[in-house]
Amino acid sequence: MGRETEDMIVNQKDMLQKEGYLEAVTHLLFQLADDDFILAYRGSEWLGLAPHIEEDVAFSSISQDTMGHAAMFYSLLEELGAGDADKLAHARLAKDRKNAILLELANGPGTYLNEPQYDWAFTVVRNFFYVQAKKVKILSLKNTSYQPMAEAAVKVNMELYYHLLHWKTWFMQLIGAGGEARTRMEKAVTDVFKDLGGLFSQGATAVAFGENQLIDTEEQLIAAWKHEMTPIFDSLEMKMPKKFGMEKGDGRNGEHTQDLEAAIETLSEVYRLDVKASW
Amino acid sequence: MSESGFYQEFEVFSKRSDTSPIQYQFSLLAPNKELALVMAQENFMRREPVADIWVVKREDIRKMTSEERQSLQRIDNKEYRNTKGYGYLKKKWRHYEQDMLDEKEILSWGGKQKT
Amino acid sequence: MVNIISAGQPTEEAKYEQFMKRIEAGEKIEAEDWMPENYRMTLIKLISMHGISEIMGALPEKEWVPKAPTLKRKLGIMAKVQDEMGHGQLLLRVTEDLMKPLGKTREDILQDLLSGRLKFHNVFHMETKSWGDAGLIGWLVDGAAIITQTNMLDASYGPYARALKRICAEEVFHAQHGEAIILALAEGTKEQRAMVQDALNRWWEALLMFFGPGDAATTGTSKQDTTIKYRIRTKTNEELRQDFFTKYIPRVLSLGLELPDEEMYFDKEDGLWKYQQPDWSKFKEIIQNKGPKSNERLRLREIAYSNNKWVIDALQH
Repeated sequence: MGRETEDMIVNQKDMLQKEGYLEAVTHLLFQLADDDFILAYRGSEWLGLAPHIEEDVAFSSISQDTMGHAAMFYSLLEELGAGDADKLAHARLAKDRKNAILLELANGPGTYLNEPQYDWAFTVVRNFFYVQAKKVKILSLKNTSYQPMAEAAVKVNMELYYHLLHWKTWFMQLIGAGGEARTRMEKAVTDVFKDLGGLFSQGATAVAFGENQLIDTEEQLIAAWKHEMTPIFDSLEMKMPKKFGMEKGDGRNGEHTQDLEAAIETLSEVYRLDVKASW
Repeated sequence: MSESGFYQEFEVFSKRSDTSPIQYQFSLLAPNKELALVMAQENFMRREPVADIWVVKREDIRKMTSEERQSLQRIDNKEYRNTKGYGYLKKKWRHYEQDMLDEKEILSWGGKQKT
Repeated sequence: MVNIISAGQPTEEAKYEQFMKRIEAGEKIEAEDWMPENYRMTLIKLISMHGISEIMGALPEKEWVPKAPTLKRKLGIMAKVQDEMGHGQLLLRVTEDLMKPLGKTREDILQDLLSGRLKFHNVFHMETKSWGDAGLIGWLVDGAAIITQTNMLDASYGPYARALKRICAEEVFHAQHGEAIILALAEGTKEQRAMVQDALNRWWEALLMFFGPGDAATTGTSKQDTTIKYRIRTKTNEELRQDFFTKYIPRVLSLGLELPDEEMYFDKEDGLWKYQQPDWSKFKEIIQNKGPKSNERLRLREIAYSNNKWVIDALQH
């Protein structure tokens, strides 16, 4: 082990001793893990139902990557003593989850088993806006004070290029198509903006994140997001609202919708049969 | 298949690494080349490394008919084009106490300087 | 001067003879090559059914994708069902090229599925009831699929053989994915073990039917002779079923599971497994879209189509 690495580990141990540091890191990791986990779950519901077979296959890879990122963040939490990663993903109640509400919303009316009237426009917009938000956060996290999280950010970042390219292509083409597609997409954009603020929210822990140099502030992240998105909006002659909403509440503080309750019910159905069993 | 429409045929090619040649993978349907490109890797190369991808509209490819493929056959009498036709040089050089500069030897010359 | 073109123009019979010579010599036929109409129609029927069965086959397992009990299982089953869609993609592309001279497209394949003209495999009409079924499908249904698909790896039709090569390589992962779920359950609690046995009991008949009837006498029609003649496959339905028993029965028993067929045994005299025939009239019913889940699964495909039609319409040029 190199001298530098040794120093870093000692340093890391000291930091975790620091008042409030562990708690702040834990909160941030929960926000990251829960965001990826629930969106990947929503993606998995689309399997077999996408508009085009080739796209079904491509979309599933993105959902798998995203679930993989969630698993990395849950393992970091496990290392910090928060509990078993599978338990964190499957057994926590809605009120204990920290994901943004935008990501938990159902894909559309119906369930994946019965009359799934899923909305591709909403899916494209939500995923594109989310991946761009994730990208600016991950870039910020490369400089976080918590080294294992910085290392995870470097890895996650590798896969975001493709996710961005994929969703941006769909976004640009469907809006650029005009007609009914543009109308549907514009409605989806309006809907997503109503709760986009929740993606950037750091909840009650925002101050602690700043004090511990964990991640840029909400304002900085929003500015970075707008900086990336403005040229795209301009090219499509679309308007971006000044303020992003959080109409359904702030998921970072444990506020959630019935959609999340229903999702947890489904995603933990087998797990709950026997929480001690090995599956 | 018509010139327009969502279901256009694209042929997908890829390179496994920077130094490998481009290789044919399979075909897919997409409304245009941008979407063809963002779907290509995950449809055909989910489990292998990829260094580059090309998508080509099928109608832009001139393929051979089965009759035309007959034109690819040739007689096995062209040793003069290959090293096989010059193998006798080895013996000649031996006479001058020199090694034959064969393919293996020559292609090794571009390698890095041994340290 | 001799007109070389017309002098060289072979008759239909000569073309057929030449074609049979080519496939008998192990040559591969390509999409744009001349082929007998019957060969083309046989391939279209076989591969469109194979392809659409992959697409429909994604649905029963997909029921368990969001419910998979751990992060690792969620990832594994997502990748597995994704592959099924991917196999559907490969096979539909092969079919679409064969249908091109008939002026038919992917759109027609889907319409044929929804109207009931195009059938999908009997196993995918069945209900799934537990996580055990997700494991059993991966283990034994995919096991059966491997047996039938490897039998066609050397098919005379080049594009099909190449698609199958890709598919079979991924099936190895599927088989191991299924085994991993089953072994975890078989080595788990009493309830988990019961889950596997229950799944085996419920899927047994569908597994026997998987390979199709032994001969035309059973259900009235069978394409197996034609496909063998055209060098698309080599073994009969019954030979494949026997291969499946030989490979999998010892494994089923080694896990302490009971065969749902109490009278089944291996006859050393003729080297064949003796088993109770499934109810073949039920098989006919099932593939006529009268299985337990036929309508619900077709409805899912119909929704995916109608609900997303605006996307297809939007990107027409």
